[in-house]
Amino acid sequence: MKPFDVVVVGGGGAGLYAAMEAMKTNPSLNIAVLSKVYPNRSHTSAAQGGANAALANKAKDDTVEMHIFDTIKGSDYLADQDAVDVLCSEAPKIIRELDNIGTPWSRMDDNTIAQRPFGGAGRPRCCYCSDKTGHTILQTLYEQCLKKGVIFFNEYFALNLSVNGSRSRGLIAMNMKTGKVEAFPARTVIFATGGHSKMYWNRSSNAAGNTGDGQAIAYRAGIPLKDMEFVQFHPTGLRKSGLLITEGARGEGGYLVNRDGERFMARYAKEKMELGPRDLVSRSIETEILEGRGFDSPAGKYIHLDLTHLGADLIKSRLPQIREMSMQFEGVDPIEEPIPVRPTAHYSMGGIDTDNFGRTVMDGVYAAGECACVSVHGANRLGGNSLLDILVFGRIAGRMAAEESGKFEPGIISDAELKEQLAATRSNMQSSGHFERYGALREELGQTLAINVGIFRESSLLQQGIRDIAELKERFKKVRVFDSSDVFNTNLMQVLELKNMLDLAETVAAGAYAREESRGSHTRTDFPVRDDAKWHKHSVATLVNGTLSLGEKPVTMGRYELQERTY
Amino acid sequence: MTVSTDQHKEEKKDVTFRVFRFNPQVDSKPYFDDYKIPVERGITVLRSLNYIKEHIDASVSFRAFCQAGICGSCSMRINGLSQLACTTQVWDVLAKCREEGIIKIEPLRNLPLIKDLIVDMDPLVDKMRHYSNWVDSTMAESEMGKKEFLVSEEEFLRYDKATDCILCASCVSECSILRANKDYVSPAVLLKSYRMNVDSRDGIHDLRLAELVKDHGVWDCTHCYRCQESCVKSIPIMDAIHGIREDAIECRGAKDTSGAKHAEAFMEDIEKKGKLVEATLPIRTNGVVWTLQNLLPMAVKMIMKRRTPPPPPLVKSSKGIKVFRAMFREMSEHVKQDQKSHKK
Repeated sequence: MKPFDVVVVGGGGAGLYAAMEAMKTNPSLNIAVLSKVYPNRSHTSAAQGGANAALANKAKDDTVEMHIFDTIKGSDYLADQDAVDVLCSEAPKIIRELDNIGTPWSRMDDNTIAQRPFGGAGRPRCCYCSDKTGHTILQTLYEQCLKKGVIFFNEYFALNLSVNGSRSRGLIAMNMKTGKVEAFPARTVIFATGGHSKMYWNRSSNAAGNTGDGQAIAYRAGIPLKDMEFVQFHPTGLRKSGLLITEGARGEGGYLVNRDGERFMARYAKEKMELGPRDLVSRSIETEILEGRGFDSPAGKYIHLDLTHLGADLIKSRLPQIREMSMQFEGVDPIEEPIPVRPTAHYSMGGIDTDNFGRTVMDGVYAAGECACVSVHGANRLGGNSLLDILVFGRIAGRMAAEESGKFEPGIISDAELKEQLAATRSNMQSSGHFERYGALREELGQTLAINVGIFRESSLLQQGIRDIAELKERFKKVRVFDSSDVFNTNLMQVLELKNMLDLAETVAAGAYAREESRGSHTRTDFPVRDDAKWHKHSVATLVNGTLSLGEKPVTMGRYELQERTY
Repeated sequence: MTVSTDQHKEEKKDVTFRVFRFNPQVDSKPYFDDYKIPVERGITVLRSLNYIKEHIDASVSFRAFCQAGICGSCSMRINGLSQLACTTQVWDVLAKCREEGIIKIEPLRNLPLIKDLIVDMDPLVDKMRHYSNWVDSTMAESEMGKKEFLVSEEEFLRYDKATDCILCASCVSECSILRANKDYVSPAVLLKSYRMNVDSRDGIHDLRLAELVKDHGVWDCTHCYRCQESCVKSIPIMDAIHGIREDAIECRGAKDTSGAKHAEAFMEDIEKKGKLVEATLPIRTNGVVWTLQNLLPMAVKMIMKRRTPPPPPLVKSSKGIKVFRAMFREMSEHVKQDQKSHKK
């Protein structure tokens, strides 16, 4: 195969923006997007709420500077301030560019792009398209990539980077339609594979495939992962499925209510109430439940998200999707009665360590979006900043890779290496010595993470979590792929995804155990306060000779000094 | 299965899933496998399939991703109807079963089969490319990001519903034209084309429309409404198809394409006689030469079987034609006014 100039792994918002921008930067380049699902299926489509940008369409006094401050404060001061500068300054440009290429933004009375309030933000700056924002952005980007003639390798499962010393030769992936392992020799590779919160399984809002494939591949190739202990629990997952009810529901005026009929957020965030930042609201809900003020049901404990006072018209026009979901998955019509919700693992702040240009430590390897950690979200991401992150840094990584691709020689991936990879990939298909069921391991991983590495963490729990994960990794060696077919072997894909989740779960638990403080989404009941003297720094997890090694990296400060974070 | 519900905890039934199986590597033709599992109220078809895959037969192959009805991966035919497995409740399906307690699961129609419930989506993507299913912005690339387009609420509402489409291809699977002609543009692509064509930011409306009125395009639809009925997002797809047709007649004139001429001849007959003058319909639609070349053999056969439609002078006006004409005029007036207000 002719070597590629840019291979983008992942076809969500970050990957597609990267591909589009790379094509724009240099149309003569050979650019491909490789995705394990059709790009329009990617999890970007599930982002309901919107993307933040200080357009000042709604609040005329909104500024980029305020967006920057909100983001840094929201991150509990762990975000790198120069990176946040980039994120927020580029935001208005990105939102307008998306408008210019056809994204159907909802509109204000003066025909400008509509904005609404979102958690942790001082002004209503979240741009949206009813409650299908991510879906419409993803469609727009996919359409534009088709227009520009981006080459797509759909339903290819990425397996590994081919590495020569400090250089990548390109990517090795499995064609799901044939089961063949194929080489993608490339000058540059951009990982845009999305988050890894599906490791919490049914306590997660994520799609089945949000298994951190890119992060795991990078980690195995020796590229460091950053701030992996920070996992965001979204306050309002549906009780039964963990599926998400957008923050937009609270942005539009929804109440959180306990069994005593009390709007309990008054106890935790007097001013912002339901629109406090996600970590705070999640902890508040969990506390209500732990202290016996939640509702109980065979499907688990929960509290109420009450929209009934908003009226049928508003719910139907602004929140149609969440109404549909409540009815389909809980049998509750939010016009008539409150929605049962509880926090659900939603977003991974941590990921592949990159600089502000999406570059990793390995020449020619980039990362963008949820799989990357620049870091702009620090210890807690604000609602409406994740779509923004994938767009801004997807675009930057695409441009950088296109510009820098000339610097790197394309690698050659040998047949021997492909053969070896194929054998490794299919090793679990042999019957002898393989008997563990994939479903059981995955379930147990989700369980131990939710209990021991969940919202409230503590030394002995975390130690238990670490032990459990190590044991699961041992058992995984004996896992059996029961489907023996080459064509579209989804059983094999699930097992490969589980391997990635197990590798990453180890870094999440280890990071959480090491960080002896509470910051943002990471709450240690045994170390309840933020400890800036010891822990105002990023954690870095690197695989050295097959063993996890934890290091650290300073936080880039700027105009904003450390402050106590209250809402 | 693990999920239980509050009020209906005790409600559980044994359900047989009759699943379409085909692995091109080993099977010469498709067959069905039956899987009988206990299902509680509140469980979706997708969760049942996951259960079968995890506990009974790991080789059953299907796509699933978001499991929340937004990614469109898990569309399949459930008891004959194309829909998303993740949003379809097993008990709802059971209530309408032809064979009690048996739910038949098959892949989508009208797309090439890959394995079991997985079909190839590439032909649909190819058509999206062919019909330029993207906004080709009127703004130069160098100017982008500097300012917003101003878009009225009214314009937004024109394509709002159409942008709900998740490309699940349920409409593609249900389309009766695609069954006869795989080259037909397909409902989803018409919907997307319409969405682009009513977007004021787009600059290739005419080009897209020119492609849509060609063979296999918008005029091939026979208004069976199955696309709209099966749409998992309840999008009025037929409104989009009619929208493109009206647009085509208005922008390009009725003389351009056989589809438009056919519609025009239809209207003319209805207005004059209240019924169709079938004998001359093909000539007015496709011209004398085409009709002679293509329909002469059929005409001869029809004569032999005495099935020929009456010649035009013998077609009498329908009863109550005067009242009908008045209604017709009133309707035309309404349509004109609607179009005017739409343009404002």
